[in-house]
Amino acid sequence: MTTSAIVALAVAVWGQRLLGGFVVGPVLARRPGLAQAVGLVPAAVVMAVIIQLSMADGRTLVVDERLAGMAVAGVLVWRRAPFLAVVVAAALTTAGLRAI
Amino acid sequence: MTDEQPRLGLADSAALALTFFSLGVTLQVLLIDRGASLWNALTATTVIWSATSQFAYLAVRDAGGGDWAAIIAGAVAASRFGILATALVPRLPAGTIRRALASVNAFDPNVAIAVQQRDERRVEREFWRVTAAMFGGWFPGIVVGTLVGNVVGDIDRLGLDAVFPAALLSIIAGLLRTGEGLAAGVAGAVICLALIPIAPAGVPIILSMFGVGIGVLATRRQKGSTP
Repeated sequence: MTTSAIVALAVAVWGQRLLGGFVVGPVLARRPGLAQAVGLVPAAVVMAVIIQLSMADGRTLVVDERLAGMAVAGVLVWRRAPFLAVVVAAALTTAGLRAI
Repeated sequence: MTDEQPRLGLADSAALALTFFSLGVTLQVLLIDRGASLWNALTATTVIWSATSQFAYLAVRDAGGGDWAAIIAGAVAASRFGILATALVPRLPAGTIRRALASVNAFDPNVAIAVQQRDERRVEREFWRVTAAMFGGWFPGIVVGTLVGNVVGDIDRLGLDAVFPAALLSIIAGLLRTGEGLAAGVAGAVICLALIPIAPAGVPIILSMFGVGIGVLATRRQKGSTP
């Protein structure tokens, strides 16, 4: 990773944690409606990161072995499988289909 | 009582440590596969303190995005940690330094268990017990991952590129189990899917945050239908 990426992401990550704890937290404690909306941001953004990681090839959408691995992972997560089972199954599915 | 105030048993601690060990190994192997030197990979992970941000950054760079588009996507993805801190810090004992130390170490498992404590005196102690278990796996994991990074070879052949999205899905599973969380997640995914072919790399992840609007609407409808 570039030096600017390391520095900027560190500022963003450490800053958001401190800002969340000391500034946003007390405000949200008084505004439950806003707190609920803010609490949903990670669901939307992390799902987008998952899509980018599993369905994008450059700027093209692709359906390949990664998506099959994610489908298996999705079923296991839904069935409340432990973290390790989820990631190992995703890797094995993807690697297995590529080996065929 | 145990259900009301979950505590991490020895088996849970070991499982959590193993989880973070494997996450640390795979993150370092990915960084080195994408061209980072050993020193760069180790520095990036210990300084940034958020695997999610690094995954988002690498995803945008892989898609051909520029450094700053990738950085902004990584910063947006890190919002999860700020939000975890908003839930944790008000429950901690007073004291700026104690609160700041816990705040910068807010991850999903330690905050989830800490905020479930009914007894306020146990919030901070349980937070650090879970944190200790996580770090007990995480630090050896990033060291091992950094050292083996160059010998793993083609990580795609091993399916390791599927590990990261699967890991993220497992991490946010709790959020997706609520109606509004699922609505926001699906909306974020659809926004990203729609924008990938037409928007510069990084933009689909950044704009996906507007999926929250759909989640909020879903909540309103649920509330409206409840007598």
